[in-house]
Amino acid sequence: MGASLPSKEASNFKLIVRSYETKQYKKGLKAADAILKKFPDHGETLSMKGLILNCMDRKAEAYELVRLGLKNDLQSHVCWHVYGLLYRSDREYREAIKCYRNALKIDPDNIEILRDLSLLQAQMRDLTGFVETRQRLLSLKPNHRMNWIGFAVSHHLNSNASKAIEILEAYEGTLDDDYPPDNERCEHSEMLLYKISLLEECGSLDRALKELRRKETKIVDKLAYKEQQVSLLVKLNHLEEATELYTALLSLNPDNYRYYEGLQKCVGLYSEKSQYSSDMIEQLDALYKSLQQQYSRSSAAKRIPLDFLQGERFREAAESYIRPLLTKGIPSLFSDLSPLYDQPGKADILEKLVLALEGSIKKTGGFPGSMEKEPPSTHLWTLFFVAQHYDRRGQFDIALAKIDEAINHTPTVIDLYSVKSRILKHAGDLKAAAALADEARCMDLADRYINSECVKRMLQADQVTVAEKTAVLFTKDGDQHNNLYDMQCMWYELASGESYFRQGDLGRALKRFLAVEKHYADITEDQFDFHSYCLRKMTLRTYVEMLRFQDRLHSHSYFHKAACGAIRCYIKLFDSPPKSATEEDEEMSKLAPSQKKKMRQKQRKAEARAKKEAESKNEETNASNVSKSGKRHVKAVDPDPHGEKLLQVEDPLMEATKYLKLLQKHSPDSLETHLLSFEVNMRKQKILLALQAVKNLLRLDAENPNSHCCLIRFFSKVNSMPAPVSDAEQLVRNVLEAELPAVSPVHEKSLTEANMSFLRKHEDSLMHRAAVAEMLYLLEPNKKPEAVKLIEESSNNMVSINGASGSVRQWKLKDCIAVHKLLESAMDDNDAASRWKTRCAEYFPYSTYFEGSQSSAVSDAYLNSLSKNSENGDVNHIELTDSITVNGKLEARFKDLKV
Amino acid sequence: MVCIRKATVDDLLQMQACNLLCLPENYQMKYYLYHILSWPQLLYVAEDYNGKIVGYVLAKMEEESSECHGHITSLAVLRTHRKLGLATKLMSAAQAAMEQVYGAEYVSLHVRKSNRAAFRLYTETLGYKIHDVEAKYYADGEDAYDMRKQLKGKSGGHHHHHHHGGECCSAGADAAKSGEEVRAQRA
Repeated sequence: MGASLPSKEASNFKLIVRSYETKQYKKGLKAADAILKKFPDHGETLSMKGLILNCMDRKAEAYELVRLGLKNDLQSHVCWHVYGLLYRSDREYREAIKCYRNALKIDPDNIEILRDLSLLQAQMRDLTGFVETRQRLLSLKPNHRMNWIGFAVSHHLNSNASKAIEILEAYEGTLDDDYPPDNERCEHSEMLLYKISLLEECGSLDRALKELRRKETKIVDKLAYKEQQVSLLVKLNHLEEATELYTALLSLNPDNYRYYEGLQKCVGLYSEKSQYSSDMIEQLDALYKSLQQQYSRSSAAKRIPLDFLQGERFREAAESYIRPLLTKGIPSLFSDLSPLYDQPGKADILEKLVLALEGSIKKTGGFPGSMEKEPPSTHLWTLFFVAQHYDRRGQFDIALAKIDEAINHTPTVIDLYSVKSRILKHAGDLKAAAALADEARCMDLADRYINSECVKRMLQADQVTVAEKTAVLFTKDGDQHNNLYDMQCMWYELASGESYFRQGDLGRALKRFLAVEKHYADITEDQFDFHSYCLRKMTLRTYVEMLRFQDRLHSHSYFHKAACGAIRCYIKLFDSPPKSATEEDEEMSKLAPSQKKKMRQKQRKAEARAKKEAESKNEETNASNVSKSGKRHVKAVDPDPHGEKLLQVEDPLMEATKYLKLLQKHSPDSLETHLLSFEVNMRKQKILLALQAVKNLLRLDAENPNSHCCLIRFFSKVNSMPAPVSDAEQLVRNVLEAELPAVSPVHEKSLTEANMSFLRKHEDSLMHRAAVAEMLYLLEPNKKPEAVKLIEESSNNMVSINGASGSVRQWKLKDCIAVHKLLESAMDDNDAASRWKTRCAEYFPYSTYFEGSQSSAVSDAYLNSLSKNSENGDVNHIELTDSITVNGKLEARFKDLKV
Repeated sequence: MVCIRKATVDDLLQMQACNLLCLPENYQMKYYLYHILSWPQLLYVAEDYNGKIVGYVLAKMEEESSECHGHITSLAVLRTHRKLGLATKLMSAAQAAMEQVYGAEYVSLHVRKSNRAAFRLYTETLGYKIHDVEAKYYADGEDAYDMRKQLKGKSGGHHHHHHHGGECCSAGADAAKSGEEVRAQRA
């Protein structure tokens, strides 16, 4: 390095490198400039100067200098290495790998570059390359522990676990018998456990068990030792020993459900789908009775039998499980039992059971058949349970009556308000649900959980402004107004994005969805530092687990939701591009003068409010800009806080395709992925890709109403395509002709016929009828009256769920809302929509959407009672009234008008 | 009711979500990764019957101090799942692992002065004592109690190894560095 320089400059060059490594950038720059004064074309110095500028956030200059340096000295491995580092810092790993490879051509044995290259290869999962580089490193420096371990891990990742074991054993062969010294016991222990897990992975179970026992004294993590041992014993069918070991593990932690599951497997009483013969149930019951005695403080041993017991035995067990928990007042009791509602008959038994408890307590003050009096709180928690029970069954009127009874009993228990809020949400009164959640929040302002819950409800009710104000009460971070983004608070961003989307504010919605996408990109990036860190720390089992986690990261539900949200925004943006200012003006001129005046007034008010808000925000940031340490924090200002620039993309469908590809790769079994793929590709006129989407939809769920719609729309499109002219079109046509017969029987019949036969299959389902109606209208627009009739003649039958006695109506609120939107927009029939609304208001009296008689849209009973309560001097109470009128949509529209 | 078990990497996203719902002190995902990739034995979760994470403890070893000791970075239980003793169970599990795997002498933690419920849990149920007060420890200016609980002697554990001053299991200088890169640590 710096070899071509005279000695004074050469030592200056070393100083640059040292300064870079110790982050003394100014010093480094000075040294670089001193050299460049005499040798302005010196490549390596130019490169290093660029690298330092890169660390000082002077990107453009950095790239210029580094490229110039390289041009001046193409034969320098330093210049290539620096170029690679620059790309690496910008996460352009493929480019960086190319640079490192060039550097290595010049200096093949450079340890530093090889190490850097290996990290990039691990990051990019270039596994063959990773193995090669790791091998070079080991052969160059075989006396480094890290190089052995790295070589072994590289083979493991490259699907060669047995090779990895060989390498680890060869490494062990280099160690003394009394290895490790005290300060390396943890690392060594982790290495041994890693090796044993590799043996297990290869199926060398006997060897693994032998090795585990042989190294027992060297393994310091005794819990991992036992868990590894029991796993091997089960696989080797040494069930007696395994049973013993599970018993030992349970006495260490009787709350670990996996140990119970393991124990059941050992004694041959385990079924994946919990389907047991009566004989097995008998044995299981006996097993758990003895476990309950052994681990008397474990609630797991009491709870698990409720899963397999049936009928009267279930009732008895449930009763003795529930009673003490009601006495203790366990708020999560209902959520603990809720999975039982999916089993036939159990909900009914539970209903009778808790109603009997409630009746008895009311009458005698004690449980049935008990002489002991229960404390008053037992009544409260019983009502709390009963309310949640009826909520779960969709009987919202009873649920609300019960929760109100509980609130009257003890008005100070916050959980009651949270549950009431949830019931109202399920019943469709989002506004009242938000108000109740705010009521709960105000009862304990120091509790972030109820704050979060309240924010969630506010966002569901599309009160985004007030929701943000509420969230911020907990998210001020020193100088920062709001750290929700920095802290990757994804539930908030998703809920906020969805609300903005509902309100038609696509810019802000996109902003939120893309923020979540960015968090996932950052998490992928996070693994980088750990490729070298874990080789030192030796936490290799967890490291490999982490890599696998990263490989599946984008299939996580938050990412899925964010990507779907973003794609929907782009589709909407494509369908109705944002209007330019002149178009808006033209629209204004079409309005009647009185309307115009009203609009202008609203507009002025909104402007004034926005201005005031901006000013107060500015003051806030100015005041807090100087932090405690006296340093001025200059945080990069977001140039597009409201996502307005995001709306100006040239090709929204191309943007959508980026996220669609991630969904297709990571969520191929989600119906939504292919529905969106269909929508995007139909718009892009990519017929074969749309066909692909249809095929996937049929594969996943051919009976789904949305799948049906896509199928019909697809064939209708194909039928209307003009005869192929170009070669490409002819090619598409040929593929279609070859593929279509295999896709669906639709090909044989007319589309109308296919549509009707789908109806006959699903006559009793509202959503299927709606889908058929929509398609009928699409295929034969003159049959609109028939289509509307199809929907209106649907009947909302009473059904009993899982054999329950009290039956409820079949239709779901969200489906009815979807049908209303269909009538209103796609079918464009306002009369039918309004008839539908009236009808649904009957079914859903609490629904604000349908303006049901009990909803806060009609009577403000709930809100009024609330405002009375909150008058009691609550400073932090946030006004709820600015919700719907000041929502983002209007604000955004007014801003657009202004422009 | 609730399963108490060692956390896996797959739990981290839900742990972060749980933290963001409950607590004002939050961390980026990298900090969670740093914990589990440094001390995989010291993270525990409480998982409810529906597979949802309703509580967690995030703990670490202090590697640079003279006495080998553990530190509780963060502990949270959803409000809906209180009264089940989850916090105690999570803490006990993490403390046991610190002592057994790393031979920790004691375990430390910080708690807001105003957080009476947590303070009571630490002193009355778990046996922590106030060691010091750290003025303005939290971002909003509130003071913290620096609390400690002695681990050794209580169980008289079977430690076949002891640690020399300076390090708990050698961790290169970068171990701490990686932590700083993640975020200025506070909890």
